[in-house]
Amino acid sequence: MTAVSESSVRRHRWWVPLLFIGPVLLVQLAFLFTPLLNTFVLAFTDASTIGGGTFTGLANFEEMFSSASFWEAVGHTGLYVLLATPFIVGISIGLAILINTRMRGAGIVRPILFSPLVLPMAVVALMFQYVLASDGLANQLLQGLHLVAAPVPFLTNTHLALISCVIVTIWKGCGLYTMILLAALQNVSRELNEAAELDGASWLRRTFSVTIPQISGTISLVTVLTAISALRAFTEPYVLTAGGPGTSSTTIVVHLFSKGIAPGTEAGYASAISLVLFVFVLAVSSASWLLTRKGRA
Amino acid sequence: MLVALSVVLAPLLWQLSTALKGPGESTVGFPGDLIPSDPTFANFVAAFTTVPLGRYLLNSAAIAVLGVTINLVLATLTGYALARIPFRGRGLYVSVLLATAALPFEVILVSTLLVTRGLGLKDTLIGVVLPQAVSIVSIFVMRQAFIGIPNEIEEAAVMDGAGPARTFWSIMLPSVHGSVAVVAVLGFIDSWDLFLWPLVILSDPANYPVNVGVQFLSGAFSADQRVISAATLIVMAPPLLVFFLLQRQVFSGLAEGALKG
Repeated sequence: MTAVSESSVRRHRWWVPLLFIGPVLLVQLAFLFTPLLNTFVLAFTDASTIGGGTFTGLANFEEMFSSASFWEAVGHTGLYVLLATPFIVGISIGLAILINTRMRGAGIVRPILFSPLVLPMAVVALMFQYVLASDGLANQLLQGLHLVAAPVPFLTNTHLALISCVIVTIWKGCGLYTMILLAALQNVSRELNEAAELDGASWLRRTFSVTIPQISGTISLVTVLTAISALRAFTEPYVLTAGGPGTSSTTIVVHLFSKGIAPGTEAGYASAISLVLFVFVLAVSSASWLLTRKGRA
Repeated sequence: MLVALSVVLAPLLWQLSTALKGPGESTVGFPGDLIPSDPTFANFVAAFTTVPLGRYLLNSAAIAVLGVTINLVLATLTGYALARIPFRGRGLYVSVLLATAALPFEVILVSTLLVTRGLGLKDTLIGVVLPQAVSIVSIFVMRQAFIGIPNEIEEAAVMDGAGPARTFWSIMLPSVHGSVAVVAVLGFIDSWDLFLWPLVILSDPANYPVNVGVQFLSGAFSADQRVISAATLIVMAPPLLVFFLLQRQVFSGLAEGALKG
């Protein structure tokens, strides 16, 4: 990649590259590097969102690790990841393979299937607030088909609220990941597939033994992306259930939002929560990095 | 495939149906009432009068225009430097960019709020746009595009006596207009999706973008499902329109961004 660009024609004066990357560096300095550093500093202070703060050592972390509401939020986020990831990855693989087998009407079906990915999550969640309401579309369908006798309390039951948020995540998320997998599928070798067909392998067999192994790299990429975005879940629970009923759908970011945003709340404590979120995200990305490295070796 | 299609379409169509229904018509009742007996646009009008939806839409449009512009300027400049201007530390900076791409905004949310407020940008348009203006994906899409330009073109420009700024502006930039369009389209979709950050940094409701403002409809004392449906459709319309008209850009941008970035 660099070989192409290194053959640039002339040597530039020292300030020329600075002219080009300077603006981004400035913005990043103000809104990325400074806040990131500040997060690490604040986490060890008792700063409020109004200001102030003195060094308190590990006090925030001690408070956090002994806080039931923190562990509850961690648990909800963990469940969120465990529920959303396999469904989104599975459905996206299935859809991508189906779309990739040429069929009639794909030109119309494709954009409709992908359209949720451009819709704003805040508005999608607002829509689902009604779709999942006790007299909403979902319950009308379930009751109309006589699958349930009484309306399912999707949003008002403490056990179902989080699952309802995950459903919205899946509805909106599959489009993007299907698109990414589809792009990978289009690079898959057609010859291999044809060879397998000549050998008498069935479509199902070819899909699992020929096609899927060739896109395994992209599948693990999509898995990581899905897991990370599930770790960051905020808009769905915030709009759909406001983290409730009670705190039954409060994720880490919703918890963080309630602790450290409003004026006078604890910026220091919230920074400590942020660092935990950071550790989780790093864990997911490095786990995948280790796995793919092992796969290549 | 049909199942997937109906799962995607059903909520949207139901919204449309509800939005077109008059006050006398029930929003419940399966399956017969999907087609409104007496379609009306009154709910779309009511969406603008119940909350200042017009104002919210203008705010969102301003955020989008400013956000897309800044993102484009930053991404083309940086992408160009990373592709075609050798400088010490370039490899290191690429690694820094890749590493920061993995840093979720939520992690630095609280500190970014403090910094932005410290700079006097709370409750301003710039304060909404700037902290999320650097898109790593956009930078890499532009870098990839600039790498693809043959060296002969650049050499010819230098022979003709063009300086670095001139070469960039008149020779290189016009060659990558396709990728510029991709970055602009993705930037618009991202900007229209902003929710958490505006919610955090804005306190004056007059500055709210639609995503935040429209939430007041459901909190309103007289929440009317028909009006809310109409409002959600209004908010969904611009990105849907962009998507259907510029599908190719969206597809190539997202796929390329994910696979190469």
